[in-house]
Amino acid sequence: MFMILLIVASISTLYFVIPAVSDAAEEPKTFLTHTGLAIQTTGDIIDPIGYTGEILEFDPESYLRDFDYGTVSELEDGTILREFTITARDDQVMEVSPGVFYNVWTFNGTVPGPTIRATEGDLVRVHFSNEGSKSHTMHFHGIHKAEMDGVFENVGPGGKFIYEFYAEPVGLHLYHCHVHPVEEHIAHGLYGAYIVDPKEGRVQADELVFILNGLDTDFDGENNFYGANTVPFYYQHHPVEISTNELIRAYVVNILEFDPVNNFHLHGTLFHHYPAGTDTVPAGFNDMLTMSQGEREILEFEYKYPGLYMFHAHNTEFSEKGWVGSFLVKDSEKNYSDET
Amino acid sequence: MTEFSNYKIAVSAIGPLILLAIVIAFLMGPATNFLEFGIVLPDIHIEQIDFVDGEIQVIVRNTGPIDVNITVADVNDRIQPAAIEPDNHLTKFETALVRIPYDWNEGQPYSIGLTTDDGTRFEKFVDAASLRLEVNTELIGFLGLIGFLIGIVPIMIGLLWFSFIQKLGSSKYRFFLAFTVGLLLFLAFDAIEEASEISQSHLSDIFNGQLLIMTVTILSFLILFSIGNSLIKKSQFSKISKPLAISLMIAVGIGFHNFGEGLAVGAAIALGQVALSTFLIIGFAIHNTTEGFAIAAPMARTKAMVLRLICLGLIAGSPAIFGTWIGGFSYSPFTTVIFLSIGAGAIFQVVVSIIQYIREESENTISSASIISGIGLGLVVMYLTSIFV
Repeated sequence: MFMILLIVASISTLYFVIPAVSDAAEEPKTFLTHTGLAIQTTGDIIDPIGYTGEILEFDPESYLRDFDYGTVSELEDGTILREFTITARDDQVMEVSPGVFYNVWTFNGTVPGPTIRATEGDLVRVHFSNEGSKSHTMHFHGIHKAEMDGVFENVGPGGKFIYEFYAEPVGLHLYHCHVHPVEEHIAHGLYGAYIVDPKEGRVQADELVFILNGLDTDFDGENNFYGANTVPFYYQHHPVEISTNELIRAYVVNILEFDPVNNFHLHGTLFHHYPAGTDTVPAGFNDMLTMSQGEREILEFEYKYPGLYMFHAHNTEFSEKGWVGSFLVKDSEKNYSDET
Repeated sequence: MTEFSNYKIAVSAIGPLILLAIVIAFLMGPATNFLEFGIVLPDIHIEQIDFVDGEIQVIVRNTGPIDVNITVADVNDRIQPAAIEPDNHLTKFETALVRIPYDWNEGQPYSIGLTTDDGTRFEKFVDAASLRLEVNTELIGFLGLIGFLIGIVPIMIGLLWFSFIQKLGSSKYRFFLAFTVGLLLFLAFDAIEEASEISQSHLSDIFNGQLLIMTVTILSFLILFSIGNSLIKKSQFSKISKPLAISLMIAVGIGFHNFGEGLAVGAAIALGQVALSTFLIIGFAIHNTTEGFAIAAPMARTKAMVLRLICLGLIAGSPAIFGTWIGGFSYSPFTTVIFLSIGAGAIFQVVVSIIQYIREESENTISSASIISGIGLGLVVMYLTSIFV
């Protein structure tokens, strides 16, 4: 009897010590390291940097140039009315990096929320409804009445609120949820860009939105991933295509939580930058931009030479955890001659 | 009639087991959904980190209650492209090898992190990176020499006290036997302490390290106790004298201990955790010389037979050589903990045997001053020499 027990005990111990082994893949796969070495494996590749799989639920490619101008109508006095419908939710689980699933809190289903765009003097009306399980609000940066500030008027689960204000001043602003604890509501993804264009318009340009953000997926008060438009390394494996000698206007918003400072570094050219986009005179001509939490800048630049150029946080911790991308600059003249 | 009662006994023994099996089947089958409540968190444990040429290799085990996918590997909290073999999906208790191509620097500390599909990052620190040892004759020689220096040499030197002990009067002899008891007691606790240190820093929680050590130590004690008893009983009818039987048991016990110690030392060299200095070797030598003394003491009332002494010395000391080899080339914290615990149990058994022997030698009293002071002094000497290790 003792022997039987001993055998059973040892076999069950072996079960713990020698684990089950899955079937290995037959064909070896190859991936590249940072330094360009090709590594072969019979197993799986875990590489968010050189990711080649399917596009995740959220597509930073289309977000980049997607502006929401709202439903436009004209009031009796000639004012343009722009109406937006924004729904907040907090129950979505999204694949934020290949294989990593995180509970995002969203405006209209994405992180970041839609880029709301109006012209100076327009009446902006936001039909906000909260389909989440917690209170949420929309707090817009800019000039508006106190009761439209989205701070003291918490919108409870199932609640609705109409935010209404004139679009002012001209510039690049942002909106985010302002319910306590604000850090938690922002870190989960409740934010977006809000652009007010000057009445006379800006010079024609290829316009891009970069929301610099981070993801604290294990809730230890430190970001596990950094990115421009949420998905880490996205523009690294899907470079942003632009052309030489074409004005690029980048709307850069820093909504990073937990880290007090973020920055933006551009390779191969320099940019003029306009803090909050409120002035017509650039604050500087640089390839480095340091921004604190909630700060945003409009960047204007052109590329002289075609090729692949990186843009990333010069804080390399952030860039090596996802806040890195590339511009694929195509030769505009060459394209022109090809077409004709 | 007896067959019938045997049958009854069998049923009464197996019956509860069958009922238990039914309950388990119910819980795992129909009742699964009923019992699913609360938050289930994934858990993985990085068991081993090896530094090879241009690559960091990590062995990870799923120690949580649910299956997990490994999604990100990082070095010093910076994300790196990596491969995971056989695949990135780990069922309960399954292990996988994560290969991170990385141009690491010798002697530098590293933190290695793995992130699961829910975004939780698990990490393990390495104090100093060093190239994983590859089997070659030079290294076999080197590790063997280390094992020889910490195992065989000091024990052989310790055995030389044999003739000194032989010349002692019975009271002084009892003192030195008791001194041996002190040495061995210390050694047993030393082994348990080392085993729990290893289990804490290298074994994942699911192994219940402390309970594993307790279980193995007691099992080892019980098994060796019954073997030892029969050996001593036999010694009454054969040529093997009782003191020799006790010495043999001591040698075997110390042998187990030295095997575990060898594993730990070999692993320390392999993992680069210890700069194996001359000082450390000297420490081991001083410490282990006392083991030779412990083997020699019970034999001192018999005729000196050099060959016998050498054999006992080899039984006790040579496992250290095998230990350093195995520990150096394929370190397993689990095996090390097991052997250190077996060693502890073996030594406790030896302690009991010697105490019985002393009682017989001293007409069934063990309270004489020489014995108590002997045990005390043994402990103190071991403690002082342990400071060198």
